[in-house]
Amino acid sequence: MTAVATRPVTRRGVSSRAQRREAIALVVPAMAPIIVFSVIPLMAGVYLGFTDATLRRNDVADFIGLDNFIRLMGDRFFWESFRIGLVWAVACSVLTLLCAMGLALLLNTDLRLKSLTRVLALIPWAMPPVVVAIMWRMIYSPTAGPLNAALEWVGVAPVNWLGDFSTALPAVIVVAVWSGMPQTTVLLLAGMQQVPAEQLEAAAVDGASAARRFWHVTLPALRPVVLASTALDFIWSFNSFGLVYVMTEGGPGGRTMLPMLFTYLEAFKNRNIGYASAMGDVLVIAVLLVLSIYLIQQFRKGKAEG
Amino acid sequence: MKKRHVLAVAMAATAALALTACQQGSATGGDDGDTGGGEGGGEEVVNLEFQSLSDQPLAMEAVQGIVDDWNAENPNIQVELVQAGWDGIYDKLITQFNGGTAPDIIHYEAASIAPFAVDGYLADLTDLIDPAFASDVTEGIWESVTVNEEIIAYPTTLQSYMVFANVDLLEAAGVEIPSGPTMTWDELREIAQATTTDGQFGLGWGLSNPTATFMSLGLGFDGGYFEGSGSDVTIDVGEGELAVPEAIHQMTYEDASLDPVSLTQSGSEVLPAWYAGQTAMTVQGSFRVASIGTDAPEGFNWAVLPPLEGSVSADQAANPQTYSVNIDSEHVEESAQFLDFFTSTENLAALAYADALVPASTSARDALAEQTADETGWAEVLASGDSLVAPPFLTVDAYTQWKDTVATPAFQRFLADEIDSAQLQADLTDGWEQVNR
Repeated sequence: MTAVATRPVTRRGVSSRAQRREAIALVVPAMAPIIVFSVIPLMAGVYLGFTDATLRRNDVADFIGLDNFIRLMGDRFFWESFRIGLVWAVACSVLTLLCAMGLALLLNTDLRLKSLTRVLALIPWAMPPVVVAIMWRMIYSPTAGPLNAALEWVGVAPVNWLGDFSTALPAVIVVAVWSGMPQTTVLLLAGMQQVPAEQLEAAAVDGASAARRFWHVTLPALRPVVLASTALDFIWSFNSFGLVYVMTEGGPGGRTMLPMLFTYLEAFKNRNIGYASAMGDVLVIAVLLVLSIYLIQQFRKGKAEG
Repeated sequence: MKKRHVLAVAMAATAALALTACQQGSATGGDDGDTGGGEGGGEEVVNLEFQSLSDQPLAMEAVQGIVDDWNAENPNIQVELVQAGWDGIYDKLITQFNGGTAPDIIHYEAASIAPFAVDGYLADLTDLIDPAFASDVTEGIWESVTVNEEIIAYPTTLQSYMVFANVDLLEAAGVEIPSGPTMTWDELREIAQATTTDGQFGLGWGLSNPTATFMSLGLGFDGGYFEGSGSDVTIDVGEGELAVPEAIHQMTYEDASLDPVSLTQSGSEVLPAWYAGQTAMTVQGSFRVASIGTDAPEGFNWAVLPPLEGSVSADQAANPQTYSVNIDSEHVEESAQFLDFFTSTENLAALAYADALVPASTSARDALAEQTADETGWAEVLASGDSLVAPPFLTVDAYTQWKDTVATPAFQRFLADEIDSAQLQADLTDGWEQVNR
């Protein structure tokens, strides 16, 4: 080895190999937990979708190929909940974006007590989903809730928000938007502060109104932030569980049965882990599909403009 | 050389990390039922872990008292009480069983513990139960804790659905309080109509999760829904099955004597309106007798009406609270010995009194009747205990699935007047075909 190492060419080879080894040594400790705790369980979960695993004692899971997926194709309850999940996820991410944009613009102006209002806007973020859900269930309560009391006071008939078939889904979407808003607001606010002040000033000098300044200067600068936060919101709401589980448990009459709730029922109430994993696989594919369409479009647009 | 060293150390560190993580996962699993060293002499002390769900202050006290008595009398079998609650207990148990950390003695209820028995997690207690207790409990109740011809739990206390009435409102409406052994649905309907006035409903009924109630009260009309057991089951939704939902629908939308908002609430959410005199009657689990006694406003004049009787009988579903033994416990026999003690007449009566439930054994029911002779509601509650029978759904494998994904949504739609009873019948039947594939 020493004999070979004297030649300058190989020396470089040895040193770069050593560097590579060093790099591996540094990366392995960081990678291992990810592989052990995320990648392997994820793979195991995906694989379970192809087995007939149950939660029986000493259960042996047999590989059954695509049987679960074929059965899933004909499961109209699942597809109904899938449809509700899409309505829910799209509504949540779009409304969250609109509300958060408004709030961020407001917080970005030179208001008095700016720091205080910014902290206040973060409060929903600090609350665990279960607490949010219990609080809103009280607000929505048909008999003792403050919302109905206020409605009655202005002379409107009380509404059974979470119990009525037409209002249940909108009511839980409002709560999801309320609790998801701070996160998006913070992201947008940070993005707005990156917008060059000179550009805005220049636009103002050129006589652009506030709306035009927002549309032509602020919004284009924010596009990456908007894209990222909406994409994340979509994934989170499509996969959300706790909020709706506590508020309605999928009721009334299955109107708020999100796909995650449905999968949970299949996995833990019916103890068919294999079938439920197949549902999970389908949901992951669906999210990836929707996102890839969105991302590809954005890239194309970016290229065309650039 | 040095660099290889770094790599080796890093690998070792990672491996150690992963191993510790694994070990932490299993460390909690291994120690239930461990034997500790005996205090005097070489005798070994058996330690049993007992997960109790009784979360009302009085019931907690009663359970703790029984455990303390046992521990004092049996130094060689020590029971450790682990307090859990009813909320989310299904999720907890399924995690405990699958993770191998379930306690030795498990408290739950017949309808919900059955799936665990089907999946093989519970010990067969058929030959371990004290014969005296076995003959003291009716056949119908034993049936409710029998899975695959094995008795998998000690049944202890039961609840039934009872009508609670605000006596002042009934009298103001000129209604005579029914006093027979049972009351028909028509009587209930008449009283509800008579007590309905402007701004006041005759009946409030918390039916946000209606399936259990309909399954139970349907038995009075011979509405058992299922035929067969295991996975070989057919559903039959006919006149008997639809009688209870239809009666409620009629009272809500034809008579307007039942508060429609209450149909979307839980039982406890309906109580404030009843206390406030906004509804004259409410249907609740019999266990409310205990809390109404303490929660009702001063001077609230209430009574429990006789058990509801359908066209066939006053039967309701027996769904007793149960105490089962983990099949993986190292001390199944000792656990059964403790449960024999736990279900003795005196202890069962104390437990049932604390929770305001009907004891499963006849002797405990008699003892309790004597003890509560002059307390409101108890006579009616104990009387309803005679007509509790094992419902057909207990032995149906896909019942929970059908209940959560088919029946509950369909009943909710029917109660909200979104679908008619023909559609309800179709939904329940088609849904069963979907889930029982």
